[in-house]
Amino acid sequence: MSGTPDLQEHVRRAKEAGKLVVQPRMGFAAPEEMALGLRAVARARATTIGTITLDSYTRVGDHVGARRALGAGHPLNGYPIVAHGAHLTEAVAAYAVDDRTPGAEPIPVQVRHGSANPRAIFRTAIMAGLTASEGGPVSYCLPYGRTPLAESVRNWDAAVVELADGAGERGARAHLETFGGCMLGQLCPPSLLIALSVLEGLFFAQRGIPTVSLSYAQQTNPVQDVEALAALRLLAGEVLPSHVDWHVVLYTYMGVFPRTAGGAGRLLDASAELAVRGGAERLIVKTAVEADRIPTVPENIAALERAARVADLATRTVSAVPWAADADCSELLDEARALVAAVADGGDVGKALVRAFAAGVLDVPFCLHRDNLGLTRTRIDDDGRLRWAHTGRLPLPAPARSDGRIGAHRLLSMLRFTADGHDRAALRERTPRALPADRPYRVAVVGSGPRGLAVLERLAARLIADPPDGPVEIHLYDPVEVGCGRIWRTDQPPWFLMNTVAGEVTMFSGPPDGGPARPGAGPSLAQWWQETDPACPGPNGYAPRPLYGRYLRFLLDTVERSLPPRVTLVRRRTEVVDLVPDQGGYLLRAADGESLRADRVVLVTGHPRPSLDSAQQRLADFAADRPELLYIRGDSASDMPLDRVPAGAKVGVLGLGLSFYDVMVALTIGRGGRFEEDGGALRYLPSGAEPVIVAGSRSGVPIPARGRNQKPSRYAYRPRVFTADRVRALRRAGRIDFRAEVLPLLTAEMELVYYATEIRGRFGEDVAERFAAEAAADPASIESLAAHFGVADLPRLDLDALSRPFAGRGFAGREEFTAALLDLIDDDLRHAEQGNVDGPVKAACDVLRDTRGVLRLAVDYAGLTPGSHRGDFLSWFTPLASFLAAGPPLLRLRQTRALIESGVLVVVGPSVTFDADPASGRFTAVSPQVEGARIELDAMIDARIPAPHLDRDLAPLPSRLREAGLWTGYVNTHGDERFETGGVAVTGAPFHPVRRDGRPETGLHVLGIPTEHTRWFTQVGSGRPGSWGEFVRDADAIAAGLMSGLPATDRADRADKAERAGELL
Amino acid sequence: MTALQERARKVVLSTVSSDSHTWNLVFLQLLLEEHGFEVVNLGPCVPDEVLLDAVREHAPDLVVISTVNGHGHLDGARVVRRLRADPLTCSVPAVIGGKLGIRGAGDRDKVHALIEAGFDAVYTDSADADELPAQLELLAATGTAGRRTPERVA
Repeated sequence: MSGTPDLQEHVRRAKEAGKLVVQPRMGFAAPEEMALGLRAVARARATTIGTITLDSYTRVGDHVGARRALGAGHPLNGYPIVAHGAHLTEAVAAYAVDDRTPGAEPIPVQVRHGSANPRAIFRTAIMAGLTASEGGPVSYCLPYGRTPLAESVRNWDAAVVELADGAGERGARAHLETFGGCMLGQLCPPSLLIALSVLEGLFFAQRGIPTVSLSYAQQTNPVQDVEALAALRLLAGEVLPSHVDWHVVLYTYMGVFPRTAGGAGRLLDASAELAVRGGAERLIVKTAVEADRIPTVPENIAALERAARVADLATRTVSAVPWAADADCSELLDEARALVAAVADGGDVGKALVRAFAAGVLDVPFCLHRDNLGLTRTRIDDDGRLRWAHTGRLPLPAPARSDGRIGAHRLLSMLRFTADGHDRAALRERTPRALPADRPYRVAVVGSGPRGLAVLERLAARLIADPPDGPVEIHLYDPVEVGCGRIWRTDQPPWFLMNTVAGEVTMFSGPPDGGPARPGAGPSLAQWWQETDPACPGPNGYAPRPLYGRYLRFLLDTVERSLPPRVTLVRRRTEVVDLVPDQGGYLLRAADGESLRADRVVLVTGHPRPSLDSAQQRLADFAADRPELLYIRGDSASDMPLDRVPAGAKVGVLGLGLSFYDVMVALTIGRGGRFEEDGGALRYLPSGAEPVIVAGSRSGVPIPARGRNQKPSRYAYRPRVFTADRVRALRRAGRIDFRAEVLPLLTAEMELVYYATEIRGRFGEDVAERFAAEAAADPASIESLAAHFGVADLPRLDLDALSRPFAGRGFAGREEFTAALLDLIDDDLRHAEQGNVDGPVKAACDVLRDTRGVLRLAVDYAGLTPGSHRGDFLSWFTPLASFLAAGPPLLRLRQTRALIESGVLVVVGPSVTFDADPASGRFTAVSPQVEGARIELDAMIDARIPAPHLDRDLAPLPSRLREAGLWTGYVNTHGDERFETGGVAVTGAPFHPVRRDGRPETGLHVLGIPTEHTRWFTQVGSGRPGSWGEFVRDADAIAAGLMSGLPATDRADRADKAERAGELL
Repeated sequence: MTALQERARKVVLSTVSSDSHTWNLVFLQLLLEEHGFEVVNLGPCVPDEVLLDAVREHAPDLVVISTVNGHGHLDGARVVRRLRADPLTCSVPAVIGGKLGIRGAGDRDKVHALIEAGFDAVYTDSADADELPAQLELLAATGTAGRRTPERVA
C-alpha cells in the first residue's frame, strides 16, 4: 500500500511553480460519489488537493449510528470513514488522479472531520493510506460541543501521537492542519486566531508530526487579513521547531455567507486574491450554496477553478490589497506573540492550553463553552477591521477605545458585515442606482498637500478595484497650487531642499511593477527623479522642494488618468472658507463664491498660520510703528517676504532649526552668492546683495546634520529594547510618565546602537551582534557591557550634552565662541560623514527617527499623563529629538561653516534674547553666555515653524468649524490634571473629528497637522517605500471610510431586520 | 406591568442535542438580556438530560430552544415531550424557533406537530426579532395558561 502523495511536498512544488493550491470542503456518504468527486477534483483546471469530509455521526464517534443510517438509506452529511472502513476508503482515495492526462500524478487527499476525539478516524485513515488530516485540541472542542477542554487535549494527544507513528511506520510523513485559525468562523480578532493556530501547530510538532499547515480564515478587512497572514508566517517561524516543514493555508470566509450568488462569488474571489497577496500556499474554498445544502461535485469544481483563475490574475491586477511584504504586521505580530508567549513556556503546550483557558490568558470572544471564560468581546471598526472591544484577562493592552456593550443588534450587524458588504457590492454591479443620475456621490478633499493626495491615491486604488456604478465626483481644493499645496508649490526657488533623501520618499502605495504607473504601483521620488532628470544625484540625494511638488503633481495626474469610468476629479484652486452640515452631507463655500454640496469631506489643511503669541506680537508691533524696521513672522521660508530684507542690513534670525537653513540659503544663494570647494571645505563668494545674518537660539548651535544616509530605501529598524510590546505593556498599566518610563527604554535603545556600531567597526559584525543580544537582555547594564566588549574609551552617549553642548559655558568674547562653534560643526561633519549606519553618534540619533512609530504608541490619544505630555514630552523631549534626529543635509552644515568664516553669518550664542529697544529704535540680540556688546538689528525673522494650535488658527475654515462645534480641541485629562493640547480631537481610524457633544462627525475626516498633539509627529510629507507605514495606513483608512459612503442600492438596503434575524433565530 | 415586576424573569436558553451552532444562542442571550430577562445559556449540543436538569435546577419562567441545523422538528419534539412528562418541569412555558426542518417554507406542517408535542409557541425562519422579547415576556408572565391560548405561529 503506497498511500496518497505527501501533502507538504505537493504544496512546496506548487509554490515553486507559482501556483496557489486550491482545495474543496467536499464529502459524500456514498463511496462511489466520493470517489468520483475526488477524481473530478484531480481533473480540475487548477492545482488541487482532494478532500474527504466526514459526516456528523462520525464526528461525534457514533459509528454505529452512521452504519444504521447508511443501512436505512438515510442521507449523511459526509463520508463515514470508520463505518466504511479502511479497505473501501483506500479504494475511494485511489480515484484522486487525473485519469485523462497521461502520466499525471495522483493528488494528495486530506481527511477533514471536526472531531474532538479523532483517534478512530485517524486509525482508519492511516490504514487506508491517508496520513493528512486537520483539526486541533482547542479548535475542535471549544466552538462546537460540550467535551471538556482537558479531555479534548487528552484525546488529541493520543490521536496525534498515533497518527505520527502510524504514518512513520508506513514510510509516510503525517500532516496536520490547525483549525485554530478559524475557531467560531467569525468575529475572533486576528491576533488570537494567529496565536491559536501557532499553538496548535506546536502541539502537533511536540507530538512528532513532521509536516504542519497553519490555518487562517478570511475575516472582515483584506488589509488586516494580509497583515495577519504575514504575522502568522513570522510567528510560526519563531515558534515551530526547525525540523518541522510547514505552510500557511487560508480558508475562504467561514462566517455568515452572502445571500446573492454575485456576493458569494466576490467573497470567494477576494479570498483567492488574499491568499496570493498574503502569501498563503493553499486555499480552502467555499461554494455559494454551502450555507443551505451540501454542494454538488460540479459546484465544488466551479469554485476551485474560479479561485485558481483569480489567483493567477491576482499577481497582475490593480488591487486595494497590499502584498504581505508591504503590509505592516507589527501590531498583530506583537499581540499574537504576547498571547503565545503567555501560554507556551517551553513545556508541553497541551497542558499549557488548558491552564491558559482556565486563567483567561486565552479567551475566545462569544464562545459559550464552559472552559472558555467569555470575558472578551470583538468589535468591527469603522474601517472594517476586527478589534478587541474587551480584552478580559488576555495579556494584551486594554482597547484604546472602549465603546461599551455589544448589544444583540450590533452583534447581528457584525455577523452580517461581510455578507452584507459583498451582497451590496454585487447588487451595485447589476442594479441601476437608486439616486437620480444627476446626483453623484461627492467627496471633497480640502487641501492638496501630501496628506490629501495620499487619501486620493488610496481612494483611487479602491475605486479601481471596486468600480462604482453611479457617478462619483472628487473635488480637490487648494488655494495655492492644486496637486502639491503651498509647502511644495512648484514655483518656489530650487535652493529650498527636502529634509529626507529621495530614496526614502514615495507617494504611491506600492512599488512599480512593470506596468504603467497607477494608484498602488508607481515610482518613488528617487525613481521618478532618475527617469526625468539626468542630473539626479541618486536615491541619497535631497530633492529641491519644487521638484517634489512636480512629483506630487505627477501623482495627481496619474491618479486622474487611472480613475474608472464615472469617477471624475475636479480641481478647484480656491480656499474653502465655510462648511455647514446640510441634508446628511455638507455645504462648502469657497473664497471664489462658489458652493458645493458634498457627501463626505476630508480636511487635510496642513501647516497653519496661527496668530502670533504675545512675545512675537510685541516685536511685530514694534516694527509696524517704524517703517525702517522689518519683522517677518514664522512661516514656510518660501512664503516669507525675504526680498524685503535690504542688502547690508543686519537681520536677526530667531531659531537655528530647519527653517533657519532655508532662510540662510535664501539670503545668500538666493541673493546671487556662491559656494566653492576649497581644500576640502567650502568657501563663500558673496554677491554683495546679502544682509548680515545674526542668528541665535536657546542652544546657540545650528541643528546638526543628518548622517550620510547608508540605509536602503526599504530599511526597517527592529528595536530590541524600545519595543512596541514594552510600550503596550506600559499603556496597559495606565497613564505613562514619559521621563520615568519611556525615556529609559529609548535611551537604552540608542546606547545599544551607539556601542554596537562602534563594536562592529572595530571587531566585526558577529561580535556586534553578540553585544546587541546581550545588551537587549540586560538594558540596564549596557555601558558596563560595552566596556567588557572593549569600547570603554568611547565617550558616554549623553543626550543633554549633545543637544546643549554649550550649557553652562561662558565665552570671553565673540571670537572665542565662534571658534568653539566651528570646532563643534567640524566634529558634527565628521560624525555625519561616517554615516547613519557606520557612525556611532549618527546611528544612535537615527534611532529617534526609526522608532517614531513606537513612540506614537506611547503618546497618541493621551498615553502620557497630562503633566508628562506637556512638560517632559512637548517642552523637553520634542525639541531635543528634532535637534538630534531631524537634521538637514550635511551640505547645509558645510555652507553654514563657510558663511560664518566669511562674516555673512554671525551666531550670537546660547540662550539668546531678541528684543526691541525703544531707545535706539532697533531690534537687539544678546547672549548672556558670550561677553561683549549686544548686536543692534534692522530686521527680525522668526525662523521657527509655528506650532499648530486650534484656538490660534485664524484661517476662516478652522474658525468656522470651531464655532460650529464640529472641531474641538483635544484635552488630555487624567484625574484633576488637564492639558489642553490645541490639536483637533479625532477618533481613531478613520479619524472623524469629535464634536462639541462628544460624538464623532462621521461625514468628516481630519488628517495631518491639524490633529498634532492628539497624535504625534503628523508633519510627515510622504510615504516610504517598503511596508505601509502610518502615512499610507491612515490615508487608506479614510479611503475605506469614503468608499463605505458610496450609495447602496435600494435592493440591498431592503434587507430588513426581520429577515436578517430569521437566519439566526 | 414592568413597574410592578419583582424580579427579572429567568430564561433557560438551549438548543437541541444534535445542533452545534452557537451564534444564534449568543444573539438570543444578548437580545433577551437587553429586554430584562435573566438568561441561563446552555450552549451548543445540549443532551435532553442536561436541559431537563437545568430546568429542574433553575425553575425558569420560560424555556427557549433555538435550533438551525434542520433537525429541530425531531429533536425538539422529543425533548419537549420529556419536559412535559416530568412533574418538576411540565408546567414551564417552552418555545422553539429557527430552521426547524430542511425544506424552508415547506416545514409548516412541522409547526403543528411541535405544538402538539408540547411547545407553547413555534417561531419559524421569518420571525421578527424585534417583536420576540415582548411575546416571550407575555408567555413568561402568563405561564402555562398561555399554552392553551391560540397557537402562536409566526
